[in-house]
This record gives sequence, C-alpha cells and structure tokens, in this order.
Amino acid sequence: MGHGHHIEIKQETFVVPAKGKQFAMILMILGLILAGIGIANIDRNAGAHDEHTKVEAKSHDSHEAATAHNEHVEHAVAAESHEADAHAEHANVPNEKFGPRMEYHPIEHPWQTKIWANLLIAGYFFLMVSLCALFWIAIQYAANAGWSAAVKRIPEAMFTFVPVAFGVLLISVIIAKNDLYHWAHYEHLHLKVGDAGYDKILDGKSGFLNSTLFFVLPIVLVTIWYILGRRLRSLSLQEDSAAKGDTTFFKKSIRTSAILAVIFGFTISFMAWFFIMSIDAHWYSTIFGVYNFITHWVTAITIIALLTAYLKKLGYLNIVSDEHIHDLGKFMFAFTIFWAYIWLSQYLLIWYAQIPEEMYYYQIRFEEYKANFLGNLVMNFCLPFALLLMRSAKRNRWVLGIIGTIMILGHYHDVWFMVMPGVFGPGMQIGVLEVGVFMFFAGLFLIWTLTALTKRGLIPVNHPYIEESAHHDVGV
Amino acid sequence: MGILDKNLSLRNRNKMLIGVWEDEDKLIEATDAMVHSGVHIHDIYTPYPVHGLDRIIGARRSRLARVAFLCGLTGFILMTTMIWYMYVLDWPVNVGNKPVRFTPSWIPVMFEGTVLCTAYGMGFFFFWRSRLLLGVKNDLLDERQTDDRMIMAIECNEGVNEADVLNIMKSNGAVECREMSHGVQTTI
Repeated sequence: MGHGHHIEIKQETFVVPAKGKQFAMILMILGLILAGIGIANIDRNAGAHDEHTKVEAKSHDSHEAATAHNEHVEHAVAAESHEADAHAEHANVPNEKFGPRMEYHPIEHPWQTKIWANLLIAGYFFLMVSLCALFWIAIQYAANAGWSAAVKRIPEAMFTFVPVAFGVLLISVIIAKNDLYHWAHYEHLHLKVGDAGYDKILDGKSGFLNSTLFFVLPIVLVTIWYILGRRLRSLSLQEDSAAKGDTTFFKKSIRTSAILAVIFGFTISFMAWFFIMSIDAHWYSTIFGVYNFITHWVTAITIIALLTAYLKKLGYLNIVSDEHIHDLGKFMFAFTIFWAYIWLSQYLLIWYAQIPEEMYYYQIRFEEYKANFLGNLVMNFCLPFALLLMRSAKRNRWVLGIIGTIMILGHYHDVWFMVMPGVFGPGMQIGVLEVGVFMFFAGLFLIWTLTALTKRGLIPVNHPYIEESAHHDVGV
Repeated sequence: MGILDKNLSLRNRNKMLIGVWEDEDKLIEATDAMVHSGVHIHDIYTPYPVHGLDRIIGARRSRLARVAFLCGLTGFILMTTMIWYMYVLDWPVNVGNKPVRFTPSWIPVMFEGTVLCTAYGMGFFFFWRSRLLLGVKNDLLDERQTDDRMIMAIECNEGVNEADVLNIMKSNGAVECREMSHGVQTTI
C-alpha cells in the first residue's frame, strides 16, 4: 500500500514520566498502608471458634457423620440432625447447606489465612494477566496480524511481570497450603478406605491433587512459558538492530509463537485447576479452566488498551492512531461477551442439573454473596457491553479508560469471588485489606511494566508489518 | 430511508462519465485529483475494499451497524416473546421443579435468536442495499467491477466540465473512459 499520507517510522525511547512514577508509588504506599490497616482489623478471635469446631470435627461423632454423609445420604441426615442437637451452639454455620468444606476442614489459622488468600488472589491474577499478554503477542504472530505491530512492545513489557507474580503466588501457597486447600489438609491424614473420615472424592482426586504435582507441574509449565516468552522478547529486540528487510527474526518469532500458542492453550487450565479450583476440591466444573483464561485474557487486553492510550496521551507511539485504539476496544468488547458466554455455560449447566456436588459452589455464592454475584455480572458484562457497543466509545480514550478500569476491577473481583467463599465460607467482604493488596500490586505491576518499556525502543522499527500497522485503517 | 431509495438506480440519472481502472494506487491518485479539482464523485465501485478511498471521497459511515443493532433487538424481542408464550402462557412444564417464569434456561434461546436475526438481517439488508439480492435488478456499470476492475462514476450535473473530468481520468491511469446516458454506454 503505497498510498495515503506518509507516516515516518522512527524509533522512540520511552522515559517513565515523573507523574506516572508518582502515581504508581502512591498506589503502592497507600496500598501497603491500607493492607496494614486491614491486617490490624482482622478479627483474630474468629480463630477461637474455629479451634473449637476443629476439636469437634476430630471427634468420633463428627467423623461418623461425615462418612455417613458421603456414603449414605439418608443415614447422614439422621446423623446430622443428631449432631445438630448435640452441638446446638454451632448451628449458626449451616454446614450441610454449603457442602463438605466446612465440615471436614476448619481453618487452623483463620486470620493469617486471610492475608495469604489475598496474596494468592493478587499473585494469581497478575501472573495470568502477564501470561495472557504473552499469549496475545503469540496469536498476533501466529495469525500473521499486521495492525498490532505498533503496540507489540506493551504486552512484551507486561510479560516481564511473570516471575514477580509467580513468586508471590508460590509464597502464599507454600505457607498457607494446608489452610487454603482442604485436599492438602486431608492428604496429611493418610486415610484408607473404611477409616473414619475417609473421603471418596478427595481420595479419587489424590492422583492429581497432591502436594508433589501441585508444585512441580505449575513450576515446570511457567518455566516453559517463560523461556518461550523470553525468546520472543529477545527475537524482537534482535530484530531492531537487524538489517532493514531481514525477516529471519520475524520467521523465528512465528515459529516460537506457534509452539507457545499450542503449549499454552493446552496447559493454561492447569493453573486454574491447581490454584483456584482445588480450593473447592469436591466440586466439578469442566469449563473452569477456560473461564479463568478468559477472565484474565480480557483483563490483559484491557490493560494493553489502557497503556496504549496512556502512552499516546504522553505523546509517544507516533504511528498509533485511533484506529489501533478502536481495534483494541473491539477486542475488549468481543471478549466481554465471550466472558459472559463462558460464565453462563458454567452456571447454566450446574443450575439445570442440580447435582449437589456441583451446586454448592453457586449456592453459597448466590445465597450468601448476592451483591457480589450480581455485581460480578454488572461489572464484567452489563456495563462494558452497554458502554462499548457504540463505535465512538471504542475510539474515545477517556470512555475506554473508564470502562477499562471498571473491567480490571471487575475481573479482580471475579478472582476474589472464586477464592474467598471457597476458603472461608459465608460472610467475607471486600475490605481495606483487599483494596490495599490490589492497589499495591497494581502499582507494582504498573511501575514494572513502564520500567520494562524503557529498556528498549517503543517501536519495533524492523518488524515487516510495521508499515502496514502505521497505515492501519478500519474505514469510515 | 436510503434502503428504498429509487434514485439509487443509475439509469434514471443524468449523463454519467465512467472511468475504469485496473490499479488501486492509480485509482486513489485519480480520486484525490478529482476531489481536489472540486468535482463531485457520484460513487466508486470496487471488487474489494480499497483502504483510504472512503475517506477521500468523504463517504458517510455505513448504516449497517445500526441495522445490525435493530435486527438484533428484533431477534431478542421475538425470541423472548416466543419462549414466554411457549413456556409460561401456553404450556407450562415442570422441569426438575424449576420455576415457570424467567429462568437462566431462556438465555440460550434469546442469545441464539439475537445472533441469528443479526446475522441474517445484516446479510439480507447488505445484499438488498448493494442490489445483489436475488430478484433485485442489479445495476452494474461494468461487469468486471465485481471481478478485477474499479469503476468511478461522475454525474454530469451543472458546473461539471466534462473535458476536465476526462482529462483527470486519463492522466491518472484510467484504462478506459465511457459515458452513459439513459442506460446506454459509449466509449470515448
């Protein structure tokens, strides 16, 4: 395409502006303060009650009830009612209603666990977002897309956050594994068939949900993705200093991307299964991995769009125009709908089938967390869908910024909502601790990404499609 | 409504000057020159979208997106009414003791209905508007405008200097120039 007005493609060097640095720092410091207040405000006496129930749970009666519940439902009802009579003071926790979690494994360190659960959420969220940013580059290469070359450096920079986020995630699960995951607690009991408290479901899943695989597989997978991602990033850097018209690095990038896309597509679900789904270890949902992927995928695209708009506002990215912003907005819009599609696919089948093993996941979330349940849909589907429908909204940086912020918060809340009711049962709320932890990691992610952007030129000047990207036009 | 616009038919118009191009870059240059000399271009017909052309001739934004929205809304209302009639009014069925009112099970029907009506509606209205629908008499200035030629049509209204127009066309790589009056084309 030799027509149209000429756009000069020249390298740009990004410098983190003082305001941006300040903003990130304020986010982090304020986040730390709020998290501190949140930690100080956690009700530490909540442990006393749980300590008590733990003793109860280990008593012979309770084990019998638990076993009976698993094997013979009718007996269980009798045993439960008997137990309820005997320990009427614990009747305020409707165990039967909210599935097996509360019955088998009361948390040993409830207030510390709240902190670790928050770190788990933040680590997992930002790890998946960084990985999805990498996957985004990979599919642009695999699809031979031209328009996205101009903004390619942004997801490349986001990807560098992977080790930090994975570190946070690992720390939280190493420390609090036994409290966060009741299968991990159960594992230590070494129960055989016929033992009091034997759990057929957990035993059946123990080939997958065991401490060895839980650590080995995610570490191996993240290492593979990280190595492939580093390769993509370094190829992209080498391309900058290559001769004009040299497509060696581009071809290598396509090959790496194809390998990455296939591996990533088949294995990303493991992260969701291990770190989030195994919190509700008795639960079954076959679409959970896809649901988790899409939650973070749409967040990653939103962050790419917002960072593009931010850099554009600062006067960088000369070759990026409203056309690129528009396409990123379309991406956000499309995957907002896809998120709702997957959300419904999971919910509808469980709602229809009404199998107790599956249903309790939604029962606790719908009955005890109605505001969160509905707020999740409003923030992640209704608002973005309605507001991004218009073409002008997708091309307006301000509108995109506001909707994007809602979506990022909404999807963080989505992860919170997958974790908290599973770990603690009813009664959790978004408090200063949650806000503080999110702010801290959001600030860290921002400053990390911006700093990574300064490490190399902002424009992949020797990308074969950079000219096409500069002249990208979606039409009137 | 443009969809039903009788004026769309080129046969009822004044004398038309028609330029034929084989190369899109040259077409762009010609269009640019034509617009700069102040000639109003009636329309340009190309077998595939030529990037940038719509902006040069100042084409309005397509109303297809709005049509799509209305079709989707129609489908949504249609399907909601249908399932409400079937499921609540006409023949309530107790399925697994689920309530007989709005339930999540309606959503797939509403969603698919919306998508179906949007897709078919867009296709239908697009082909109708472009006169490609079966039964609508098409109005091709050149058979090859759907294949490998690009056609520029300029209406000879008052103030259009025909010699100038032809000059711009020929000096910008038009492979052929024709004029059309009352549906009859003659090469010039």
